[in-house]
Amino acid sequence: MEDVKAYIESGILELYVLGDVSPAEKQQVEAMAQKHPVIKVELEEMEKALEQYAQANAVEPSEHQRDKILTSLVTNLADDATFGTKKEAIADNVVAMPARQTTNFYKYAFAASVALLAVSLVALFNVYNQLQRSDQQLVVMNAQNQHISKTVNYMNDELGVYRDTAYKVIKLKGPKNMGMTLAWSPVKKKVMIDMNGMHLPENDKTHQYQLWAIVNKKTVDLGVFDKSGADTLIMKQMRSVALANTFAVTLEPRGGSVNPTMSAMMVIGQF
Amino acid sequence: MSRKNKISLSEEELVLALRNREKIAVEALYDMYSSSLYGVISRIIIDTPTAEDVLQETFIKIWNSFSGYSADKGRLFTWMVNIARNLSIDKLRSKDFKNHNKNQDIENNVIAIDEQRNTVYKPELMGIKDLVQTLKPEQKAILDLVYFKGYTHVEAADELGIPLGTIKTRLRMAIIELRKYFN
Repeated sequence: MEDVKAYIESGILELYVLGDVSPAEKQQVEAMAQKHPVIKVELEEMEKALEQYAQANAVEPSEHQRDKILTSLVTNLADDATFGTKKEAIADNVVAMPARQTTNFYKYAFAASVALLAVSLVALFNVYNQLQRSDQQLVVMNAQNQHISKTVNYMNDELGVYRDTAYKVIKLKGPKNMGMTLAWSPVKKKVMIDMNGMHLPENDKTHQYQLWAIVNKKTVDLGVFDKSGADTLIMKQMRSVALANTFAVTLEPRGGSVNPTMSAMMVIGQF
Repeated sequence: MSRKNKISLSEEELVLALRNREKIAVEALYDMYSSSLYGVISRIIIDTPTAEDVLQETFIKIWNSFSGYSADKGRLFTWMVNIARNLSIDKLRSKDFKNHNKNQDIENNVIAIDEQRNTVYKPELMGIKDLVQTLKPEQKAILDLVYFKGYTHVEAADELGIPLGTIKTRLRMAIIELRKYFN
């Protein structure tokens, strides 16, 4: 009962009777009136008082209005009679005045800003990714570029070797079609081997090929080399030697030996 | 000036007759309520021809949408005065009305209207002068803004620069005074 009293004193009933409530409030008041007869009586008394207040403030419309309005209503009545089924079920017309619309500008502006921020972040992320990819490509291109310029240098060297008349080109040969080409300049004391045109089996990890020069029946170590598919070198410079009449290659343990293992002789060639 | 034979029915009889679409109901409705309703309409719309148009629209709407009225939800007059007030405000806010009445001060005319027109005092309200003294001026100002001018209590608070809570309290006190006075 205390709740009902508080409800009555809240002032909502007055607003209801004055038609100044939202549709939700209207329903609530009507539900309360259904539940609590006290509220219903309260509403009834307020309505009566206001009705009398309106009567006290009545303004008589001009006389001719009565006929005019009654005629329009009776015409309406005739229409109703003619179209008996046309009972208009217009919903309750007592509708609370809509509350003034507060401006939504800031709400929309905020939403737009957030959306813009999100779009910008996505765009930034994309651009960053593209930049990363471009950087990677640039690194790869650089590496390729270096590789190509290296290759060009080697090729120049190689061409130089073949053009230089000081170089003697010697073919070393062995059984089973094995063979390789060697260029030796007695003047420059340089020995180059052709890595590309080499016909030798690939050596394993524990062995390496070793080049020897035979000078006056003595063997001189000219260094080791590998035969592998991945070797990018075209010409490899070996150790210098000024005098030689025979060159030979043996397969030795990795790092090379002091004296050649004659049984592992692969190819040999004479100048 | 008044017609001699105004038709008057009890509210229950009138509602029943209106529901049955009886011709007599239309006349009784007009005779019983036109001046009270016009009191509200003419306080919102100063221009007499427009106010009279709205009075006609009000009766047409009452008549056409009568199936929407339910006696459980309150008195007939409360329902009708809401229709009259809403139609008046709709008219006031409609574009062509605004265009035709640019120069008219439509805000504060409650007092003006009472001065200009002969407010009809019903015989049963003999003590009307007391009534004016019953309501404190600040209560009457708010009640009239909301009841006769169709302001929401929020708009009234804005207009008068008074907190909402005070507006509600004064409305409540005003209606309590009216109840004391009329019962």
